[in-house]
Amino acid sequence: MTRKEFRKYFDKGIVILDGATGTQLHKRGMPADACPEKWAAENPEALIAVQRSYVESGTHILYTFSMGGNAIKLAEYGLRSQTREINRRLAQLSREAASGKALVAGDISSCGMLLEPCGEITFEQSVESYKEQIRGLLEGGVDLFVIETMMDIQETRSALIAIRELCDLPVMVTMTFEDGMRTLMGIDPVTALVTLQSLGADAVGCNCSTGPAEMVEIIKAMKPYAKVPLIVKPNAGKPRLVDGKTVFNMDANTFCSYAEALVGAGANALGGCCGTTPEYIRKLSAIAGKLTAEKPVETTFAMVSSNRQTVFIRRDQPLTVIGERLNPTGKKILREALIRNDMDKVAQLAREQMEAGADLLDVNAGVPGLDEKKALTDMVRAVMDAVPLPLCLDSSSPEALETALRVYPGRAVINSISGEKDKMERILPIAAKYGAMFILLPIDDAGVPERAEDRIAIIQRVYEAARFYGFSKEDILVDGVVMTVAAGSNAAGETLKVLKWCSNSGFSTVIGLSNVSFGLPARENVNAAFLAMAVAGGLTSAILNPNSRQLMDIKRASDVLKARDLDAREYIRHYSAMESKSGQVQTAKKRPAVFDAVLNGMSGEIAGAVLADLDKGLSPKEIIDNSLIPAIRKVGELYEEKKYFLPQLIRGAEAMERAMEALAPYLDKEAYADIGKKGTVVMATVKGDIHDIGKNIVVLLLRNHGFEVVDLGKDVPADRIIQAAKDNNADIIGLSALMTTTMTEMPKVAGMAAKAGLKAGIMVGGAVLDREYAESFGACYAKDAYSTVKLAESLVRDMGSG
Amino acid sequence: MDNIKVLRAIRPSYNRNFILSRLGYKRGITGINEDFQKLLDGTVKRAESLCSLVLAYRMVGIDENTGENVRLEDGTVLSGKALSRMLSQSQRAVLMASTAGQRIMEEIRTLMDSGRASEAVIMDAAASEIADAGLDFLMEYIGTSLRRQGKALTKHRFSPGYGDFCIEQQAHFARLLEIEKLGISITETFMLVPEKSVLAVAGIVDIKTD
Repeated sequence: MTRKEFRKYFDKGIVILDGATGTQLHKRGMPADACPEKWAAENPEALIAVQRSYVESGTHILYTFSMGGNAIKLAEYGLRSQTREINRRLAQLSREAASGKALVAGDISSCGMLLEPCGEITFEQSVESYKEQIRGLLEGGVDLFVIETMMDIQETRSALIAIRELCDLPVMVTMTFEDGMRTLMGIDPVTALVTLQSLGADAVGCNCSTGPAEMVEIIKAMKPYAKVPLIVKPNAGKPRLVDGKTVFNMDANTFCSYAEALVGAGANALGGCCGTTPEYIRKLSAIAGKLTAEKPVETTFAMVSSNRQTVFIRRDQPLTVIGERLNPTGKKILREALIRNDMDKVAQLAREQMEAGADLLDVNAGVPGLDEKKALTDMVRAVMDAVPLPLCLDSSSPEALETALRVYPGRAVINSISGEKDKMERILPIAAKYGAMFILLPIDDAGVPERAEDRIAIIQRVYEAARFYGFSKEDILVDGVVMTVAAGSNAAGETLKVLKWCSNSGFSTVIGLSNVSFGLPARENVNAAFLAMAVAGGLTSAILNPNSRQLMDIKRASDVLKARDLDAREYIRHYSAMESKSGQVQTAKKRPAVFDAVLNGMSGEIAGAVLADLDKGLSPKEIIDNSLIPAIRKVGELYEEKKYFLPQLIRGAEAMERAMEALAPYLDKEAYADIGKKGTVVMATVKGDIHDIGKNIVVLLLRNHGFEVVDLGKDVPADRIIQAAKDNNADIIGLSALMTTTMTEMPKVAGMAAKAGLKAGIMVGGAVLDREYAESFGACYAKDAYSTVKLAESLVRDMGSG
Repeated sequence: MDNIKVLRAIRPSYNRNFILSRLGYKRGITGINEDFQKLLDGTVKRAESLCSLVLAYRMVGIDENTGENVRLEDGTVLSGKALSRMLSQSQRAVLMASTAGQRIMEEIRTLMDSGRASEAVIMDAAASEIADAGLDFLMEYIGTSLRRQGKALTKHRFSPGYGDFCIEQQAHFARLLEIEKLGISITETFMLVPEKSVLAVAGIVDIKTD
């Protein structure tokens, strides 16, 4: 079957796929620990019986029973060398079962291991593993392929590329989306669709993980962007655990009742996954015959993707910003970073541009003497790890581009393909193979045409060549070619003419903005003015520095003026947030009262508040007694009422600490003598225990509430604790332990304290402790950080009264 | 016993509300103002970027389950009634490890030492949640690959230190998962370093189809 025939196949109505086969084979005796593919190949009667029942139930496309038949997966059973043979046999058996009444799709799925950087399998190992399987399936006579139950877009791409490198048969691809509409590896339905349909998938969709109800939403999300048919294979409901076993218990009638909603959402093919049987498919087929599927859409805008998100480049939407800072030309720091392979710097520049508002990032590794192929690929990996933005791969080297495109986990933009004969011949096929968009640069072997008319002629020529490879206008961004106005006063005008022509002809456009001012002083002014003019002329995207405030301001304002930011929503959102931020600064400048500063944990402002009170003539003691202590008590009350939670309790304590630091120079010794003298506590996390965050919080709070604390740290031996208690004449020994293996140190410390005749009370706390355990060796139990303070206060009170 | 499989650079999804719960937040009672929300969001975001999750798992056969002990195929005995109950329908189990890495622990220490304890506790809770989310991810990931064999994982998992599945048994996991290769070490008192590391076991059960 050709890809064109496959597309037409959907014209006749809803296409019916098969249901679960593995579970049917288990019922026919396939052992759980057997290699399913090998067992099925050796038990043809069982496989043919199951598959024939699906064909008889109305299946139009039957999947071979080979989803785990890739070389890596079969190696788990020691069967790698039989990959081709097993797959050939399975395809032959499915053909026999289909008997010409159904098409046979060679079924491919995950190798069960993740690709780099998450796992240890390289992209090329994955491609090779799939190729071995695909060769077998092709020899067995499959009509098309299906890649199914995929959770990782990169592994899915490797399977699709493997098929495309061996044949031109149609390929259906379904990923498995969890609750929350993302695959386990984090890709959303639209991004999966954009990446896969551009890479050459002939149908895209979802299978497994969820039931039909959840898949309605997935198909709905995909449909507006789907240029290919959408396919759905749900489980028989969501799995439930019954008597220690997982069951799929949605019955066939309920399952099929979702068919109308699925088709209404845009599905063109329906089938079943885990828990479904021929009965489900028979009923589905009967219902589907009465439904009409909606055809795939024709989009007029560009879609690019990373492994985490899709960006739409539309002429009726705000200008798309392509960050220019990952290009080492004229940038010494980046150039040197690339030479020493410092990808942290690359990641940092990527993050900065994203935070400044870039939609895409241009990535260029052109440093003389550097292995561009490796450097560009390293940059792609580093940026993909740092940010979710799609990339523009900026290189004139076909080899560097192809290597980077292979590992790029989405749909990239190639920057660029010009009218130069060699570039067209070598880079266009690469762009087509990997489904990349490209920037069309209207220059040719004669150089850069000065006149717009000559550039337009090149645009038409390159577009014609691109159409041969299947590209349409929405796959292309035409570069207006920006030359510096310092060299020719008509330069900007010619670029604007090109942009206008493109806009009228249905092409999206891009400019490398900063070229316009090359050689001039105060370049930002010229860049900003030209950007506004270009947007007015219909510019769709620009490669610029998103960290330039002026440029981004002009961009936002231009979007409003060109009615590309409807009702100025984006503009208002952005600048309202800015005003709100500056408003906060003003609020912050308005000094809070000391009490409020503690209550709201305003560590940064409290010193100023304290000094202001001193200026008003309040004494340090008055500030402490009338503001700080009541405030920290109020914080404690709010915490006890659960109106505050732990970080807020600590924020209050931190603010109190800053206030005391600010007051310290003004405290006379007499006044200070009252503070910090509620008692002395020796605190330690016991020997063998290294978790001390809880103890540290207690130390902070105790100090805050007027205790002198000697903090011995973590993993502290008992004898050191006893010695410190003696040396400091401690009123209390506080011990912390997190584990059952270390809490046994606590009675040991208590015993040694008693033996040494220490009068200090002992309080203990930690995740595994309880009151009973504490009291078993005469200690007091502290439930949490704040109750420790109250406990300490009561212990010293008792000692005083005693 | 299957080979140990190691996964890196995973960004598991998780519910941020769980971080709040760990810190004592009570929905409908605890109030958070705008400034505090920003601090919270910023700190959690920073925690996410500082966690370098490393995950590992290994499938093992179960030779015997007495109801009190479970003997694995290599002779290792895991003790605990609740654990034995969870594995009662399983002939195989999966051992799992997840660590958030050392970098975030260093940042928590730096924050604590520089008087920013509130951020330290938020980051601490976030790191715990992310390490746990690593195990959630593993359960889903392994469950998906088991489905084709007509198998699934038990709904729950057990970690040493829960109930009567005592903490000393971390040593068995440490050995079987070769955790030192993941950058995790175990102390004499059976604590894991880095602190935000967690080990667990789940059972493999059949999927019932009728």
